[in-house]
Amino acid sequence: MPNLFTLVLQITVILAVCRLMGSLFRKFHQPRVVGEMFAGILLGPSLLGWIAPQFSAYLFPPSSLGFLNALSQVGVVIFMFLVGLGIDPRELKQQSHAAVMVSHVSITAPFVLASLLALFLYPRLSDDSVSFTNFALFMGAAMSVTAFPVLARILVERDMMKSALGNVAIASAAVDDVTGWCILAYIVVLIRAAHQTTSIWVTLGGILLFALIMIYGVRFLLRGLERTFQKYGEISENRMAFLLLLALASALCTERLGIHLLFGSFLMGAIMPKEPKFVRYILDRFETVTITLLLPLFFAFTGLHTNVGLLKGPAMWFYCGLIILVAAAGKLGGSMAAARLSGMPWREAAGLGTLMNTRGLMGLVILDIGLDIKIISPALFSMMVVMALVTTFMAVPLLDLICPSGALGPSPQKAGVAEVSFQEIA
Amino acid sequence: MPRTNRNFVFAYTFLVILPLVGLAGILKSGRTLVAPVSIDGVWSLQENTAQLSSLACSKAFAALPGQAIAISQSGRSFVLNFPSDPDVTASGTLDGTTLRASVIPPHAPTSENSCGRELSLQATVGRNADSTWLAGTLSAVNCPTCSAVEFHAQRQAPAAARGGH
Repeated sequence: MPNLFTLVLQITVILAVCRLMGSLFRKFHQPRVVGEMFAGILLGPSLLGWIAPQFSAYLFPPSSLGFLNALSQVGVVIFMFLVGLGIDPRELKQQSHAAVMVSHVSITAPFVLASLLALFLYPRLSDDSVSFTNFALFMGAAMSVTAFPVLARILVERDMMKSALGNVAIASAAVDDVTGWCILAYIVVLIRAAHQTTSIWVTLGGILLFALIMIYGVRFLLRGLERTFQKYGEISENRMAFLLLLALASALCTERLGIHLLFGSFLMGAIMPKEPKFVRYILDRFETVTITLLLPLFFAFTGLHTNVGLLKGPAMWFYCGLIILVAAAGKLGGSMAAARLSGMPWREAAGLGTLMNTRGLMGLVILDIGLDIKIISPALFSMMVVMALVTTFMAVPLLDLICPSGALGPSPQKAGVAEVSFQEIA
Repeated sequence: MPRTNRNFVFAYTFLVILPLVGLAGILKSGRTLVAPVSIDGVWSLQENTAQLSSLACSKAFAALPGQAIAISQSGRSFVLNFPSDPDVTASGTLDGTTLRASVIPPHAPTSENSCGRELSLQATVGRNADSTWLAGTLSAVNCPTCSAVEFHAQRQAPAAARGGH
């Protein structure tokens, strides 16, 4: 049984520090999520455990971390459902040449550069229980992801959602996230299959069957839910509970199939009807508790695993600097080059590259999976968390520099549902 | 084919298809790389107790908590701690199959004859198809009269869900 006093004390301290840091970062025009991510690191061994080890051991005794982790994972499961909900498949279908080019290059460029970097890092930061292929693919997936919610929030705040740049950024980020998660699912299946007696073909067949049931069966049920909303303007508590149960059941199925809980909840969100008012209604019901209560626990738990103290000596800091440089060159540089070659002016192309370079919470979620399946070592995890923080942190100041207010005009195109999504998280 | 489409195809080939071919080459060439031997996990420790009790600095050795050590590895460096006393941590390095670390037990006496508190751990990793073990010595750093204590450690359970081959 968890020690309830310890658990409630942990939650209280985490929420207080996250809100404080979130508000502080907002004052510097940073997305709140950057402050909350930073708060998680402050509560971990990198700061609190370093300056006050006794208090840190009292607040986060190792025996209590399992309960904190369980709560935080529930939060991430629901968050991934909300991320899936914010992605509109129509945006993926109706892409312009520029969006197709940017989205594909913003995956391949960081992927190739990350794999090149893996050639250097694998003998230094991994061990022989991890294969090079899995290591390199994971590094590629972690570096090619874009924080869709953070990106959407930055666009809304800067009134860029309806600009050509905003449309390309949203469509590209959606493609990146879907592709990144598919690649990650492939890696997780391969790794877990190596430790299971079930044949990988049975696992793959199960995943395919599950996806078909979700897309052609469950999606049909969900349309009924949307029709009810359109008729009455609301959804009963029973139906909302049913929706939550479906998301959790989907998460359980993917976990059972050997992928990960998060893929199921993401898929469930992705197949939901995308009528903006319906999406906003669902988000309003789930966002508050998830974003104000459960996600800060995830940030704190990630922070407890992040130990900057592991980066001892100039060599480790050099690796960390190299990771940040390669991540930015691949994502920012790749997206910018692709946008420029597609005919976008330099200023807009650079702005797009900067937006695509934000990794935020999505980066942390992927890294957490990597640490969980032990494909990355604790020191590499810490470096990658620093990279995710730096690349997210640099987005707003760089955008201020590249695209000052009013520098970009709106396009007549209508923005997608992301405009109404994720009001609080970013 | 219109000029715009031709440019798009050219750019797409140059920026997407060629890099993907390059990626396949990188993945193939990376297979020949050798990473440090895996020592991550929990190890059950067996010391030579008869040898330990005869040493001048035996109290320093006896202050090591528990009979299990947990190693968290990051490439060639690792952090070592004792599950029975999370306060005790030490860091070390791995050179080939030889690992070295220095441990300061927090509950060790501050001085015992000429004994210092710091212990030095040196071991070699060995493995066969079924198990992985460490064989090495523990020695008191500032005790010229002490001889090293031999120990043997067995990896308890294979690390779960590693990024396997």
